Amino acid sequence: MNIESNYKINRKRTGLFILLIVLLLIVVALNLTLGSVRIPLQDILKVLLGQSGVKDSWVFIIRDYRLPKIITAILAGMALSASGLQMQTMFRNPLADPFILGINSGASLGVAIAIMGAGLAGGLFIPAMNFAGDLGLVAAASLGAGVVMGLILLVGKRVNNPTTLLILGLMFGHATSALVSLLIYFSAPEKVKAYSIWSFGSFSGVTWDQLIVLVPVIVFAIALLAFLPKGLNALLLGEDYAKTMGLNVTRLRMLVLISASVLSGAITAFAGPIGFIGVAVPHIARNLFKTSNHKLLIPAVILIGAIVAVAADLIAQMPGSQFVLPINVVTSLFGAPFVVWIVLKRRKGSTSFNV
Amino acid sequence: MKTPLLSTRNLQIGYTNGKPAHKVVASNLNLELTQNEFVCLVGPNGAGKSTLLRTLTGLLPALDGEVLLAGRKLAQYSRKELANEISVVLTSPIEVGAMTVNELVAMGRFPFTGLFDRMGEHDWKVVRRALEMVGLLGFEERMVHKLSDGERQKVMIARALAQEPRILVLDEPTAYLDLPGRVSVMNLLHELSTDHGQTVLTSTHDLDLAMRSADRLWLMSPGGMIISGAPEDLVLSGDFQRVFARDRITYDVMNGHFLVAGNNEGEICLQAEGEARVWTERALQRVGYSVIEDNANRTGMRVSVNRIESGFMWEVQAENQTRQFEDLESLVDYLRELPG
Repeated sequence: MNIESNYKINRKRTGLFILLIVLLLIVVALNLTLGSVRIPLQDILKVLLGQSGVKDSWVFIIRDYRLPKIITAILAGMALSASGLQMQTMFRNPLADPFILGINSGASLGVAIAIMGAGLAGGLFIPAMNFAGDLGLVAAASLGAGVVMGLILLVGKRVNNPTTLLILGLMFGHATSALVSLLIYFSAPEKVKAYSIWSFGSFSGVTWDQLIVLVPVIVFAIALLAFLPKGLNALLLGEDYAKTMGLNVTRLRMLVLISASVLSGAITAFAGPIGFIGVAVPHIARNLFKTSNHKLLIPAVILIGAIVAVAADLIAQMPGSQFVLPINVVTSLFGAPFVVWIVLKRRKGSTSFNV
Repeated sequence: MKTPLLSTRNLQIGYTNGKPAHKVVASNLNLELTQNEFVCLVGPNGAGKSTLLRTLTGLLPALDGEVLLAGRKLAQYSRKELANEISVVLTSPIEVGAMTVNELVAMGRFPFTGLFDRMGEHDWKVVRRALEMVGLLGFEERMVHKLSDGERQKVMIARALAQEPRILVLDEPTAYLDLPGRVSVMNLLHELSTDHGQTVLTSTHDLDLAMRSADRLWLMSPGGMIISGAPEDLVLSGDFQRVFARDRITYDVMNGHFLVAGNNEGEICLQAEGEARVWTERALQRVGYSVIEDNANRTGMRVSVNRIESGFMWEVQAENQTRQFEDLESLVDYLRELPG
């Protein structure tokens, strides 16, 4: 009976994964076809298959605008959700995510220093950005994210209260924002403009050249996740239990720190700060799969994150209109009420990770 | 005399990172835990029971002296090696979220599964056996957060057992449980040691349960002294009473429980037998009388209990009158009304 029920659960979960993959394909297809310029489906397919006979401008729109944008959205969704999940488990806090704990602000500070401070390359944000510049930007953002996260880890060790941790994150966010403002105040107008365009956050500014940097970085950080479910599951029981089970907690923390800050840092470097995906998607995954087992949650979160980000970008395009909303506007509009819902649900005495 | 599985030599326990720099909780501890033993660590709150258990399980470093596990210094064990020897159950309720009993107990296999945590056939066998030992077979697919507190603590014990430890260490596993839960968990620990040869060390506040089931007690006094011995020996030597001595609370050596000293109303003779005697005596003690053996020559108050068809009938002789009562409640009310 046990085996049978196990089998049923597994079949249901496999079904869910298939459903999610189909959903991802649908939102990707919609995102490819919908936009301010209407392009017939067969022409889109022709471009994708590399066949000729399509208007040059349409080829450009599909190949150099929509496709990289979708890939960026997928990467961003995966990265932000995965780092959100890791942080929620590590900080034992259901509201932890790169945005809320101020880790994005750390990445922003890294970027701000790279753009306005020392001046890594003269004009980092003109289209002809070079490979070294891109890599430098990723490194600066990841480093900024890692420093803030390391600080929160250090200070957070002294507090056991989830609310205190959130307030700490808020304060770190404010402090780093203040440093960014300081940099803006003393920087040349064109650099400030480059920075403020970046800070709106967008999937569409990312070029193929940048993707060459972004894809391997994200793939590396996500591959790192394959080694973490066992340790993260043990951490669910609390640090003391994890230690007596033989877990090297310090090493796991370091791995999570690296993975989460590279994931959120790299995305922030290219797409700007994007809120709420990191906090919301792990909750969607837990509710959908009715589990807090990371062996299931990690692939689930990666898939759902990609779907949510591509869908958010679809909404941001406002199909049928000429306007494009900043992606952060969309994620915040939908994400903020979602977080309010999580907080209210928690009040009803349910434990932090319960579905 | 068997060689001990776990022993301490002049162990000093406490914290290093607080203020002041060294907070010593207890010193000069020389303790022994032998194979298959069930030992309960008892003592008043704040005596340092948790600190001792955390030190013995390697969660806290010893300030001085040493802990020997199977003849080797505890400090020389790596976390992973230690996980093969000792597994723990902690006080605080866990918050793992949505997880099945099977998944949680399987986490006990953590030290044995590889990097990717693949469970083999043997691992599942151990999980099943652990569930069987705690009496939770059939609970495999239940969600942990939907179980009762007692059941959840048993799941945590099963998880610890799945780690196949030489020593199972529990820090107040019954603290958050209701009375049936406490009895059931303590009974389970007793069974684990008697039926399965599991060495168990647990701290507890349930003195009565500890005294009835433990092979030995480690009696920890607020000063950080630990006296070890069979529960009964510790009572007869007076150590038990001394450690738990409080204002107005005394340990009744004759009956083996704690009494709150009320007003002393004087002595009262009781003529009764069997369960009627036990519970009448309790009622009389509750209102402050000390019960003495029936003595026909004595003058003074006297209670006698007679069995009647519908139960019992109590007769009280006091102040030259005799009154009869159908239950202890009205008897107690009457005694309370008496002057003096």
